[in-house]
Amino acid sequence: MFLKRNKNTNAALNEFAQVVEGNSLGKDAWRRLKKNKMAVVGMIIVIVYSLLAATAMFLPIYPYDQIILDHQHLRPSFSKTAGELMMETRLEDLYFKAWRAGSLVVTEEQSAQIRKWIADNETNKVWDFCYTEGERQREAGLFTFNSTDQRTIDRLQEKIDTEFLISVDTIIYTDLESGKAKNLAKMEFKEIESIYANLLKVDIAVIEKQTLDEISNQVLNTLKAATPGLTNEEYALNLEMEMDALGEKGIASMAKTNLLGKVKTTITRSAERDLRSEIRSGAVEFPLNREITVNEVLTAKVSATKKHERQYFLGTDYSGRDMLSRIIYGGQVSIAIGLVGTLTSVLIGIVLGAIAGYAGGKIDFFLMRFVDIMYGLPYMLLVIIFMAIFGRNIMNLFVALAMVSWLTVARMVRGQVMSLKNSEYVEAARSMGASTGRIIFRHMVPNSLSVIIVYSTLRVPAFIMQESFLSFLGLGVQAPYASWGSLVGDAVNGMTLYPWKLIFPAIAMTIFLFAMNFFGDGLRDAFDPQSKNQL
Amino acid sequence: MSTTKKPLLEVRDLKQHFPITSGSLLQRQVGAIRAVDGISFDVYPGETLGIVGESGCGKSTTVRSISQLYKPTSGSVIFNGIDLVKADQRTMLKARRDIQMIFQDPYASLDPRMTVRSIIAEPLVIYNSRRLLETPLSSLDIERKVEDLMERVGLNKAFKNRYPHEFSGGQRQRIGIARALALNPKIILADEPVSALDVSIQSQILNLLGDLQKEFGLTYIFIAHDLAVIQHISTRVAVMYLGKIVEISEAVQLYDNPLHPYTTALLSAAPIPDPKVERERQRIILTGDVPSPDKERNGCYFYDRCPKRMPWCSCHLPPMLDIDPKHQVACWLYDKEDHSNVTMEEALADAAKPKT
Repeated sequence: MFLKRNKNTNAALNEFAQVVEGNSLGKDAWRRLKKNKMAVVGMIIVIVYSLLAATAMFLPIYPYDQIILDHQHLRPSFSKTAGELMMETRLEDLYFKAWRAGSLVVTEEQSAQIRKWIADNETNKVWDFCYTEGERQREAGLFTFNSTDQRTIDRLQEKIDTEFLISVDTIIYTDLESGKAKNLAKMEFKEIESIYANLLKVDIAVIEKQTLDEISNQVLNTLKAATPGLTNEEYALNLEMEMDALGEKGIASMAKTNLLGKVKTTITRSAERDLRSEIRSGAVEFPLNREITVNEVLTAKVSATKKHERQYFLGTDYSGRDMLSRIIYGGQVSIAIGLVGTLTSVLIGIVLGAIAGYAGGKIDFFLMRFVDIMYGLPYMLLVIIFMAIFGRNIMNLFVALAMVSWLTVARMVRGQVMSLKNSEYVEAARSMGASTGRIIFRHMVPNSLSVIIVYSTLRVPAFIMQESFLSFLGLGVQAPYASWGSLVGDAVNGMTLYPWKLIFPAIAMTIFLFAMNFFGDGLRDAFDPQSKNQL
Repeated sequence: MSTTKKPLLEVRDLKQHFPITSGSLLQRQVGAIRAVDGISFDVYPGETLGIVGESGCGKSTTVRSISQLYKPTSGSVIFNGIDLVKADQRTMLKARRDIQMIFQDPYASLDPRMTVRSIIAEPLVIYNSRRLLETPLSSLDIERKVEDLMERVGLNKAFKNRYPHEFSGGQRQRIGIARALALNPKIILADEPVSALDVSIQSQILNLLGDLQKEFGLTYIFIAHDLAVIQHISTRVAVMYLGKIVEISEAVQLYDNPLHPYTTALLSAAPIPDPKVERERQRIILTGDVPSPDKERNGCYFYDRCPKRMPWCSCHLPPMLDIDPKHQVACWLYDKEDHSNVTMEEALADAAKPKT
């Protein structure tokens, strides 16, 4: 309402007061896009998704690659913690066993029902029923666990109550002489070496030798992985060359990373020991942030949380990783593939298609025959071969997908350009001395934008699908990285038992694709000044 | 128009042949469409040269060849002492500033994705960015110039943010005219600028063109197939048939006293807005179709359809014959010798003789 009135006064101002501002196709398109509500909603959703994916590192979510095996297949819950869910799962199991053993007494019909569920493979219903029935009977005092089961439950409860995750955030070194505090991570490798030797109370020479051995082992391992099948002498020779290539600096930086890791592990272990005894005496409150003193020179900032107090709003997967953070991190890969792939393929397609269409003749002939040949080759095979040759990482996935997907765009743009080439406005532009580039990019491309935009928005989902297909084949995104496609692919196995693993990534993907389509539709209308299809 | 004046544009033996090719990869030329086949004329400053002719006779190709939209096959187009056919790109660009075009279809000649402002400003922007203007323009200057041009051609300058589809045909043609005027050209090639418009709008546009001519001292080459339009606007008229000029003359003289049989037939085809005259008017109806322009002829191009053809014409190409300094016609009827009594055999024998 407000928007409308505003627009009208603006228009009136134009007509009579003759205040006319500058305008361009882009600005105008934005004005028209804003009027299309669905497109705006779509755009907002796409932006929110992209922001979430881009800022995933700073969001308060659990790491997407942290495996906690105790938390396997936990169902999504807003109220219960991981510990409670673990207990629930265990109880379901125990009640079911009790029913089998006959200690959990149910009516004949109920037993028949349970058998029927088992026959129908509806395990979830069996567990749910056993759990509710068992809990009811236990509260009513009709059922008690036998001593073995009770012990299992108690042990689990203790585990839930006491287990914690600890991490060392920063280690601070205080110089005894000057009293200055320094972050250990920013210190020189030699200094760290002596501090570490001091910490372990061994001779510095031992540590030095140990680190050097480690590094040469590391280098040797990467060498063996890169060029397998050489003799030991050759490896030794290669190793020497590699070490020379690394130089003082390279070795120092490798040694520093190794040493820092070791210092951290040592501190973590001792802190863990201390904390465990404190928990037993019951004096700790979680979550915990404290500074501990390691020895006279080192202090460390340590944070610890109860392991089983985590909450998984969207459940967990088969190795206890948080689905929410996996979906968000998976979005990073999927959205990037969808957008970057489409963008590159459209750019290559526009340039080559426009050249072929505008130049015509031999250039057109050879370009299009090349496109024909590429079309003829099995598309997935090309991608698979490319990935096999150049290695399986995300960058190569982008390149492989973009490499074969510009063909259709090029064809389309070529057709458009050819039909526009002889139109009078292009002739007019030429009679005004416009350069070929200007004619192509100022006249022809804007006039074929509607086709290009529609096609690209259809490409985005296609790219996401292709990526998931490749991930399914094991050629796309590798664990621990995730993409929506690989999440869905992983979830298909346990679909009936753990439906949340399938539903949430699928919903996330569907919403994004819907939004993308609406946005694309809106963009097409916005870039067409003659479009009547406006809200 | 006095002939002592230096011509602004000289067209000499201009030929525009479009190759007919066959084969997909190794294309070879199997023939050519002789769209324009050796025409010559001069255009003097300040005049309007009308070109008439039926559809497909090469009128549009002529102006496109002059403005080098099609590279001519041979011949020369001399503008300001520069031969545009042989000119390199930069000279061509400089010359093109003075040669602008108005197109036939006001719906197709404006880019539907551009606002009126960017359409009119485009030639300015192009020449400005190529640094071919006398004084470089800022974007504000261009803005002002656009508004100025819009007012000149009778468009409300408040419309500059609108798109072409929001205008009527006449308004669109005004936009096209404004665009052609943007670079202050000396000569404007108008390719049937009014044939796509309503009659009432036609007169508005014609009057606008006339006014602009007076105001800027423009020269026009004006194509139309409407003879009344040509009569109204032209000072001289060239009649084209099958890629050749058959008659060129002062407009008044041509309309009063058409000499070439084709011109006579063409003029007789135009209706006269007076029922009495119209009823008594004698029409010359040409038989047959326009022959295909794909082969070279050694006789008169109009021979097949000419009501006054003689055996001589079938094998002798008529040169441009001067009737008087301002009137040339390509017809053997007006040769000093009389060819009417020559029989076919004699004519063929004469044509077979090697030329001295």
